[in-house]
Amino acid sequence: MKTTIEKEFVLEQPIAKVWEYLSDPTKIVDCVPGASITEKIDDRNYKGQVTTSFGPVKASYNGEINISELDQTNYNMTLVGKGVDSKGKGSADMTMKGSLVEKQGTTSVKFIMDISIVGMLAQFGARLIKDVSDQLLGQFVNNFKDMLAGKEVDNTMKGSSMVGSVLKSTIGGIFGGDKK
Amino acid sequence: MIQECKTSKAISGMGHSMKRKEDARFIQGKGHYVDDIKLDGMLYMDIVRSPYAYAKIKSIKTEKALATPGVIAVVTGRDLEKYNLHWMPTLMSDTQMVLPTDTVMYQAQEVAAVIASSRYAAADGVEAVEVEYEVMKPVMDPYKSTDPSSPVLRTDKKGKKDNKIWHWEVGDKEKTDKLFETAEVTVKQEIYVPRIHVASIETCGCVADYDKVNNYLTMYMTTQAPHAIRTVIALVAGHVGLTEEKIRVVSPDIGGGFGGKVPVYPGYVIAIAVSFLVGKPIKWIEDRSENLQADSFARDYHITAEMAGTKAGKIQGIRFKVLADHGYTDASANPSKFPAGMFSICTGSYDYDTAFVEADAVYTNKPPGGVAYRCSFRVTEAVQGIERITDRFAQTIGMDPAAFRFKNFIKKEQFPWKSPTGWSYDSGDYQLALHKAMDVIGYDDLRKEQVEKRKKGEIMGIGICSFTEVVGAGPSKDFDILGIKMFDSAEIRVHPTGKALARFGTKSQGQGHETTYAQIIAEELGIPAENIQVEEGDTDTAPYGLGTYASRSTPTAGAAAAVAARKLRDKARKIAAYLLEVSEADLEWEPGKFSVKGAPEKSKTIQEIVFAAYTNHPPGMEAGFEATHYYDPPNLTFPFGSYICVVDIDKETCEIKVRRFVAIDDCGNIINPMIVQGQVHGGLTQGIAPAMYEELIYDEEGNILNGTFMDYLVPTAVESPHWETGHTITPCPHHPIGAKGVGESPTVGAPPAIANAIVDALLPYGITNIDIPITPYKVWKALKEKGVVKAI
Repeated sequence: MKTTIEKEFVLEQPIAKVWEYLSDPTKIVDCVPGASITEKIDDRNYKGQVTTSFGPVKASYNGEINISELDQTNYNMTLVGKGVDSKGKGSADMTMKGSLVEKQGTTSVKFIMDISIVGMLAQFGARLIKDVSDQLLGQFVNNFKDMLAGKEVDNTMKGSSMVGSVLKSTIGGIFGGDKK
Repeated sequence: MIQECKTSKAISGMGHSMKRKEDARFIQGKGHYVDDIKLDGMLYMDIVRSPYAYAKIKSIKTEKALATPGVIAVVTGRDLEKYNLHWMPTLMSDTQMVLPTDTVMYQAQEVAAVIASSRYAAADGVEAVEVEYEVMKPVMDPYKSTDPSSPVLRTDKKGKKDNKIWHWEVGDKEKTDKLFETAEVTVKQEIYVPRIHVASIETCGCVADYDKVNNYLTMYMTTQAPHAIRTVIALVAGHVGLTEEKIRVVSPDIGGGFGGKVPVYPGYVIAIAVSFLVGKPIKWIEDRSENLQADSFARDYHITAEMAGTKAGKIQGIRFKVLADHGYTDASANPSKFPAGMFSICTGSYDYDTAFVEADAVYTNKPPGGVAYRCSFRVTEAVQGIERITDRFAQTIGMDPAAFRFKNFIKKEQFPWKSPTGWSYDSGDYQLALHKAMDVIGYDDLRKEQVEKRKKGEIMGIGICSFTEVVGAGPSKDFDILGIKMFDSAEIRVHPTGKALARFGTKSQGQGHETTYAQIIAEELGIPAENIQVEEGDTDTAPYGLGTYASRSTPTAGAAAAVAARKLRDKARKIAAYLLEVSEADLEWEPGKFSVKGAPEKSKTIQEIVFAAYTNHPPGMEAGFEATHYYDPPNLTFPFGSYICVVDIDKETCEIKVRRFVAIDDCGNIINPMIVQGQVHGGLTQGIAPAMYEELIYDEEGNILNGTFMDYLVPTAVESPHWETGHTITPCPHHPIGAKGVGESPTVGAPPAIANAIVDALLPYGITNIDIPITPYKVWKALKEKGVVKAI
């Protein structure tokens, strides 16, 4: 089960500050719903955990994050994450390309995420996985904005609200409503 | 056409729409299914399954599972390996893991079993088992399976260098190739018959109860073939001391089988092994997802169909090539000598003498199987192939599909007809069935309506399927499973008061055997059907037989019932002659009594005769009134029919509405018209399923994308159109009661009728094929490609 998600958003923050946070997994992890860093191997490699739930399936992925590209001059980075469910119920791979562009003192952030999911989560959530990922990314963006603005960030994932909002967006899609 | 009844309604022999005897318990919720069985000290099993389609098992950690309250044991492949029970044979003489020791080969494969004091604790235990895998890239596309770049999947087979399983062919290749070089018209079409699942409402399950003291195993399980299973268990477990006389298989009421309850699944074997080791009953019942994701699939044939003929519309020959995706192992349930089942019936209902048919089976990382889903071993695939290519040919030469069929049908007087692939069709009247279907539906008017609708830009189609089935496996010279000949059996005991108990080697899963077998015996002996108790499914009491699937019960066990009853009638004649003090030749039979020719007041009823068999039997004659027969059919039976379907397609939403569906079936003489009609209704609904809704879909990583009833669309009453059914009667010439079997005809005949109707509807737009299941999305896509509808 593979899906690609693209997202672009503007942060009212200088590019240097956005880059400082974004390029440091130990900082950015607090914005990722359900995620935590458990070990820093070196500057480019980390170990972490993501707990997610969707409907009847709860999955806890133990994973490794590798920053395969970190181009401070052009503000490009590529992050490769590989996670395996702690109970052997499946795995998830993700490649995220992020790039920053300065626009009159603000920063435009662009993400392209390729996600591949194998196992229980893919079976149950195949039709909704894109929407779930989209919602998670939306939650991440909000958290990131809060963090940069110096507000408190709560990165626990709320399963029931997630299902509700995904259903809303899926049903909205069926009836031709605006998904975003 | 109404069949004449020879017996009174009180006797209810053949032709009476007697209400089903079994329904009294089913409609009151008193059926007794395997999950209703509760034994003292019974433990529960649940199964850990692989999330990956292809992976090495690096470790299985059971500590946390064993610490879960209620969990008693966790069983892995390594545990079973100690007893050499980690492998088992399939019915096709392939091999299958019971539990893996090092590699998993498909998603949802069994990895370990948790035994606990309750079903809940077992499920909690499954959650707590930790398995570490090394994931490998699976082989999902059967066309790529034989590429040298694909890994060899069955490394367990010594010397295996590719993923081919078998090649099978029949017919005259040279003659066929030559015909295709010279024929005026040749038509070719790729036809995929998708991987589907029987999706019976009751999942599979068992209670394995090993009694250590008496070294005796009782296996309650959802099986369509209890005797065959007993023999398989004895062959697999004989080395640990479980020999066949120490094994009893009981198949209680079954909530739908459809071929999916013929194979031996790993869960059964694990339950037996655990019960054997711990000496307690073990219950295992699959949940819905496990059933859909891991149990044997059906179909999955990639057919390249070709037809050659004249411009004037005479078929001259066919050439079919099949790629069969069997998944991880060949776990089909075919007769041993028929790896592609009866696929060679794909020459259909038409008269020509040239054919070549071949099939190649390959391994992939999908669940194993190839079961005969309400189908006599690949007949559904064959009929989809021939009836689709027949329509393609008619369309190519611009001929009406009905007229084209009439021009090519094998004629009534040509039977028995020898097919170019070797079958001897026993009887048929294909013209009559199609004529009747056309009359009922008003074919000519529909074609006129279609012309008018097309002028207005509306989309309407009419589809025909004139199928020939081959069922009732089968004659012992060709048909066996693991060497056991495919006869079937009946044993009739008539008690002193004239009431009977009849036992069979088959096993009803909803077919109504308790009623129809009783009616056959009532027809032959004149004992009222309501006084005949039918029993099946207990190997300790029933005579040996190979079970119920492939529409074989009436052709084999039904015939056995008639022959056994006739043996008893012969005995009754002797007793009657003795009682009436006349010679046997002076007696006349009418259902229920013998009377003296010319003196009808001198008579003995069957009840009086049976009583005498116990109280006053003739000197020198064996007392009692019992008979057994093992029936070895001289040929298969060839039910047929013509179905016509009318569809309307919404140009905006591409929704397909089946407006009318007429099904004319010919299953020979009818035992119970009401049951036949019920069978046809159910079968048609299971025919619309793959035509419009069902397909098991996998992605390239091996994930099943519709492994629940949320996504796997089983049609309900809401989706079912109004079925208009009827029949013609062409008795089977070699069956004792002239019957042929009907359970599968509608499942076989409906999908091509629907597909032909939809393609007929879309023909003006240049669309000549859409593979089933034909969904609104597929129609929309096809119309979009042709520029008929716009992209949204």
